Amino acid sequence: MLARPRLALSRDVAQAAYRLLAAALLCAMLAMLSDVFLTTSNIFNVLRQTSLLFLMASGLTLVILTAGLDLSVGANIGLSACLAATAIKGADSPMLGVATGIGCGALIGLANGILVTALRIPSFIATYGVMWMLAGMTYYYMAGDTIHGFPPGFRQLGSGYLLGVPMPVYVMLVFLLIGTLFAQRTTWGQQIYAIGANPVAARLSGVPVERRLILVYTVSGAMAGLASLIVLARINSAQGDIGEDLTLPAIAAVLVGGTSLFGGYGTVAGTLIGALILTLVLNGMNLLQINSSWQPLVTGVIILLAVWIDNRTRRIGE
Amino acid sequence: MKHLLISATAVLTMLFSGAALADGETIAVFTKNQTNPYFQAVRVGSETAAKSLGVKVIQYIPTKPDSIPEQLSQVEDVIVKKPDAIVFIPVDYKAMVPAVEKINAAGIPVVNITDRSAAGKFVAFVGADDYSIGLATARALLKAIGGKGNVIILEGVKGSLTNTDRVRGFNDALKESPNVKLLASQPANYQRLQALQVMENLMQSFPSIDGVLAANDPMAVGAIEALEGANRKARVIGINGSKEAVELIKAGKLLASGDFNGFIQGCVGTEIAVRSLRKQPTPNEVILKPIVIDSTNLTPYETPVEQRACPTLEQIVSN
Amino acid sequence: MSMPSLAQLPMSVARVPGVAIVLVVLSAIFALTSPGFASPANIANILTQSTILLLLALPMTVIIMTEGLDLSMGAVLTFASIVLAITVLASGSPVLGFFAALAVGSCFGLANGLLIAVLDIPPFITTLGTLGVAQGLSLLATDGQSVVGIPRSIENIYSGALAGIPLPVIIAAIAYCGTHALLYHTRFGTYVFALGGNREALKMAGISVRGVLIRAYVLGGLMAGFAALLMTARLNSAHPTAGIGMEFDAIAAVAVGGTSFERGNGWLLGTLLGVVAVGVLRNGLNLLAVRSSAQVACIGALVIIALFIDGLRAEP
Repeated sequence: MLARPRLALSRDVAQAAYRLLAAALLCAMLAMLSDVFLTTSNIFNVLRQTSLLFLMASGLTLVILTAGLDLSVGANIGLSACLAATAIKGADSPMLGVATGIGCGALIGLANGILVTALRIPSFIATYGVMWMLAGMTYYYMAGDTIHGFPPGFRQLGSGYLLGVPMPVYVMLVFLLIGTLFAQRTTWGQQIYAIGANPVAARLSGVPVERRLILVYTVSGAMAGLASLIVLARINSAQGDIGEDLTLPAIAAVLVGGTSLFGGYGTVAGTLIGALILTLVLNGMNLLQINSSWQPLVTGVIILLAVWIDNRTRRIGE
Repeated sequence: MKHLLISATAVLTMLFSGAALADGETIAVFTKNQTNPYFQAVRVGSETAAKSLGVKVIQYIPTKPDSIPEQLSQVEDVIVKKPDAIVFIPVDYKAMVPAVEKINAAGIPVVNITDRSAAGKFVAFVGADDYSIGLATARALLKAIGGKGNVIILEGVKGSLTNTDRVRGFNDALKESPNVKLLASQPANYQRLQALQVMENLMQSFPSIDGVLAANDPMAVGAIEALEGANRKARVIGINGSKEAVELIKAGKLLASGDFNGFIQGCVGTEIAVRSLRKQPTPNEVILKPIVIDSTNLTPYETPVEQRACPTLEQIVSN
Repeated sequence: MSMPSLAQLPMSVARVPGVAIVLVVLSAIFALTSPGFASPANIANILTQSTILLLLALPMTVIIMTEGLDLSMGAVLTFASIVLAITVLASGSPVLGFFAALAVGSCFGLANGLLIAVLDIPPFITTLGTLGVAQGLSLLATDGQSVVGIPRSIENIYSGALAGIPLPVIIAAIAYCGTHALLYHTRFGTYVFALGGNREALKMAGISVRGVLIRAYVLGGLMAGFAALLMTARLNSAHPTAGIGMEFDAIAAVAVGGTSFERGNGWLLGTLLGVVAVGVLRNGLNLLAVRSSAQVACIGALVIIALFIDGLRAEP
């Protein structure tokens, strides 16, 4: 049984504390600057937008924990969304659509995993290549067309409410729970951390590294497939370029959330906080009607700040 | 290794599907990206016209959407192949001028459509008057809300000529209605998810919105989704006249859509290119009239572009 | 100090690298199936179109050899080209504009280097952050519009030729030779080779790792500024989206060329071959009028196939 090193615990706590503090400060600042920030509908907006980003980034967290990377997340969402949309409209069946979306995402993830383990191609390049191939397939399949108009039952997934709270929030919480339990409490989860921290040692301890890596990429792909369903439900249509600008924000959410690119360190919960912080920034800029040209700059600075703070807290933990 | 070479050759040979040579002239058509239905309509229009005129059309689209350096490279590569004529939508109307100059230097006749290039010699320009479309469609919305209320503008891509002109049309229409207040004018990059989120955020700041002027249909759709999600009502207009918009107008959710007709521009652009090759007279400019599609004039737009027939040049010019 | 000839050994062994195979196969196929492909005009085209990417891929090779990455290059190139254009328009002097671009590039490079080497922030994140900053500045400076009105003298840098060879190709060749000399014939180069995969040894030898890293990233920024000149010349304008995504293409070209992310062994010639291979692929597909969606897929396939071949050859 592999246990995470004890000394990481205080670093964990410090990191999470700083992030929650940052999120709280942001909220306080926005509440002061805009009198509509703290309204129920805006809070729900923020939570809905956060859940989409979180779902895209949650599986990606596991990949990054193994010191890998998945650049194909956005393209995955694009293709999965378009295929799922066809299933929903063509067969008039939301269930088939859900299965198609998640299934397509998982297959793509599986392909990534095989390229990385069996063909031993570095994950950066493998997923970069897959990203282009998926984009080509999506463009070919959609042929410049759009698919729109899904049954109300399906759209509940994106725009519906349950007990007054938006549906995507529940999906987010469910996967937060599943992701955290998996990572912290199961053997497989522990093994994933071990692979990231020291792949050689992990292998020597009997961890089936290749199988776990394939699992991790497949899960990342499946989560992208799930995220694509939420996107479909929200915008009620599918177009070939849906996933285009989604990969870098997803990666940013994971990194702002404290997961290390070198592997072995980070949490799914951290990714949620990262997604929340990034969404708060965009929401705030929209509410305050700040020129959208500032958005990349502000986001870039936030990313740098987040990681710099991590470095300082790393010193505290050691 | 041998297997790899053989299969690589096989794969590449299969990709020839686009390259079979035919008799008749060859026209190279350049569009901005593979995903916007507007450009698909242009491509379909060009191919429909080509079939009826007995010419072959080859499509060039950047692999990275709206990529300026890529379109430049494609122009340079195409010049080597020496097509008989070119129909050209510049990815950026200012930055692509060097590409047009190269085409001019190679002596290939070129027709400019959709985005008017800032410079260069063209056989003709075929486009819609984005300003008039914006003006007419906005006026339709202002009339529908009775000339008073609160309105939001959703802008497209900054720096895009169509966007600048359409928004100018919106603003001028607003000037005609002094009792209408413009609450905000925010860009959503012509994208529907972005428009949805921008609209959601704007609805927080403004509890009362009567109308939304969206510079294209996908953004209008995003706005409608946002409004429905929050159980709010407002009149929304878009521009493109897309299949989606037509269905939404039928369903009563979209008030109107300005007809920015890619199909016709593709048709007419190709027709003019062919006519110039066959030494037939061609007009210098064809500006399509602004038409606002609403529930009263839907029917002709319900046919999908693939099944429509190209209007002849005479029909268009005489209108 | 002995020259890093040992590091060059694995590549000089008679196992042909994946990128070379891919390049030869592609060129052969296109030459056979497309009449204009092998013409001097077209070859000149391919080489000229590859120059900007090469200018980015050369320093990227050095950076990857230090186990780093620079995601900000495309955005820095774009911002530098905007600064160049604005400076030329304001001062009327192309030379001043060029130096302004170099200065902007170097500043970003320095910022990257300091954040990575001194503040210890991982390169991926640092350069992701500076990407955002550079992109934001580009948008703010231009409000999304092209900057036009640049004097023709700059455009001639891209379209001119010397003794029949296009100017950009000459510039790229000089850049290649310079980087080659830097990497294989200077102390800095030795340190770069040593850094990848064996940082501790370098530290123990008393060499400042920080200094090497900072210089690597400054080189990256400087070359991005240099490439900005070519880009502005090519477009005869500056546009805030011109260079977007080029760093990923550069990274792919470096990886396809055989430089490894982990072990830090670099092969500069491989990078050149990788860049040319991509250029050949794109050009060949355009000449064959392959449908655009297939072109997109082919680019991904190229990258995967090249690395797959390398994976077959590699030590277990």
